[in-house]
Amino acid sequence: MPDKSKAKSLKTKPGSGRLRQTAALLFSSKTAMTGFVIVMFWVTAAAFAPYLTQYTPYEQDWKAPNQGPSADHILGTDELGRDLWARLIYGARVVLVVLPVTEKIILPGGTAVWGVLVALIAGSALGLISGYKGGWIDEIVMRSLDAMMAIPVILLYLIIVSAIGASAINVVIAIAIVGVPGIARLVRSLTLDIKTREYIRSAETRGESDWFIMFVEILPNTRGPIIIDAMLRVGYAIFAMGTLGFLGLGMPPPSPDWGSMVAKGRAFILMGSPWAALWPSIAIASLVVGLNLLADGIREESMRYQ
Amino acid sequence: MLVFILRRFILLFLTMVVVSIAVFIIAESSPGNIAKNVLGAFITPEQEASFISQNGLDKPMAIRYLYWVIGNDRVAGKKIGMALKKIVTREGFEEWWAVKEDNSLVRWKVEGNDLVAVNLRPDGTMTEYMDNDRWQTIEKEKQVFWGVDRQNHAVLWVKGDTEKAWIFITGKGLMESTGGAKEYIPLKKGFVRGDPGISFRTGRPVSKSLFIRLRNSAVLAASAFVIVMPLALLLGIVAGLKEGSFKDRFLSIGGMMFSVVPEFATGIFLTLIFSVWLGWLPGAAVLGDAAPWEKPVMLILPVLTLTLIELGYVLRITRSSMVEVMKAPYIRTAFLKGLPHRQVVIRHAIRNALIAPITVIMLHVNWLLGGIVIVEVVFGYPGLGAYLLESALYKDFNALEAGAMIMVTAAVGTQLIADIIYTFLNPRIRYA
Repeated sequence: MPDKSKAKSLKTKPGSGRLRQTAALLFSSKTAMTGFVIVMFWVTAAAFAPYLTQYTPYEQDWKAPNQGPSADHILGTDELGRDLWARLIYGARVVLVVLPVTEKIILPGGTAVWGVLVALIAGSALGLISGYKGGWIDEIVMRSLDAMMAIPVILLYLIIVSAIGASAINVVIAIAIVGVPGIARLVRSLTLDIKTREYIRSAETRGESDWFIMFVEILPNTRGPIIIDAMLRVGYAIFAMGTLGFLGLGMPPPSPDWGSMVAKGRAFILMGSPWAALWPSIAIASLVVGLNLLADGIREESMRYQ
Repeated sequence: MLVFILRRFILLFLTMVVVSIAVFIIAESSPGNIAKNVLGAFITPEQEASFISQNGLDKPMAIRYLYWVIGNDRVAGKKIGMALKKIVTREGFEEWWAVKEDNSLVRWKVEGNDLVAVNLRPDGTMTEYMDNDRWQTIEKEKQVFWGVDRQNHAVLWVKGDTEKAWIFITGKGLMESTGGAKEYIPLKKGFVRGDPGISFRTGRPVSKSLFIRLRNSAVLAASAFVIVMPLALLLGIVAGLKEGSFKDRFLSIGGMMFSVVPEFATGIFLTLIFSVWLGWLPGAAVLGDAAPWEKPVMLILPVLTLTLIELGYVLRITRSSMVEVMKAPYIRTAFLKGLPHRQVVIRHAIRNALIAPITVIMLHVNWLLGGIVIVEVVFGYPGLGAYLLESALYKDFNALEAGAMIMVTAAVGTQLIADIIYTFLNPRIRYA
């Protein structure tokens, strides 16, 4: 069981040099480095979006619709004459950097990131409780999560979003609900393993409460596999956001959403202006591949060090 | 073994029940108004109320769920006091009739204070006659009648107190008529008996369109499956034979890239390459009424997209299973006793390495279904996934729920098959 050994190895590492160790891991793997560069490109572009383009994502130029790359618009324009580069990097912003709650309130952290975070919190709590307590609680939690996992993911998204409507917050909710069963299972299996360790025995002997043991003793020791899993999950979340947008269930228009940009641009491909569909497709593909390369590289390297 | 399979069956059944209830509740409680979707945004409140009552949407949710699952012709038949029968007319319409004492079929309409019966004899002749004897007096002065109207509802008429009704006819729009009833039960046989009702969006029975869509999707999925499986298993074995070699890194990183890119992006790339740039293939799957195998050219791009995505996943699983097997002691023993490399790989390694992928692939059907939905939307392929999406966006819940149930059945069913295959492949479970 690879998860087990990973948890052990990370536990024995000293806390202070962790950052340097991660950096060393990153630099020693070509795969991870490539992924890191791609991801950083998008994060930077998203974070500094207002400084990287003179256009806003909503500005329409009805005299120049569906154009190819030019000096004025480096990636071209969409069917309403909106600058594609501006829409692309503002789209990355919604995915990675900001979460628009309402028109006025904006949270830092990106829709995909929040979706994974909420799923992590709920999933870890469920996994911890069901792994540590065991018995009928475990049985009920796991059986209902099994039932949830039996539903095709796309159907779950479709039903959830068509029920609660399409908005950034609802996309977060959908991503979180879909992500919970997987995380809960992972945390549960890690908990079952850690539960048998001596330091848990000693905490029990000290008379610590169940909550203390679960969240202070066990949870920090599950972080290694969880971090790698979370990285992959951000990739899935971006994948899911794109898919929802493509199906017309993502951010409401005219938000710059990669998936809905592709869906809109698709109609113009066969009419000779493929740019509006091509760029967001490349963007989403590169970002997801980048995240996977990063996670894969780090996992491989950290296994080699054992 | 038998107990194990039985347990899985019961679990499958329970999952289906829970999912169907969940889908039903979520779909029906979601915002948006089916009446406005069907009739347009400018209907009057009376028209909306008439539509809602004619479609039985004013009934409690539990009752609607039961009607949807097991049908309501028996309940309605009891109210009317006659058996009900569904027939298919020569034009292909489905009609509900009550069976009269002399075995001919009958429906009713109300004109003023009179109840008029429409009688269809077995020889196909149709006659109308006054049928006022059927009014039943429940209180003084108040006479009611439960019957079947001409739009496939079981209805409750009150003599002298008919409602103004708006009847929606697909293709014609909303027609005003008199003689409306107090209570409607839209007749259907129920999902488990093969009739999930009428689609609000198309006005046709869901079961008819669903069957064609399901067949199209099955053709798509099967073609992709037949191509992916041998290819992915072969490449996975090649990659896993020598861990860390160039071939291994190339195949596993390449496979990963294809499998994590969203289906719609892959679809767009392939369309651009093969239909815009090279001009070899059509960029959209226009089938019309033809079956997919009659126009195989339309299938190439959708199948290729699915293939690329599934290929990477199956390849990686086969690879890691192969890597694990190649490290096993019995492989070392086989090499040490001097067996040729070919024989070790084919007779000893591959057999053991294929157990894991075959079962995991079945579990992956869940994801494959998602891929199919997107691929169908990208290429405009008329399959189950596209149907499901259209129904969800329209809030056409008869269709949405039926499609969802079929999808869940496919997913859960393949998981059951995976379990059974696994027990057969792995003797340690079989003989336990």
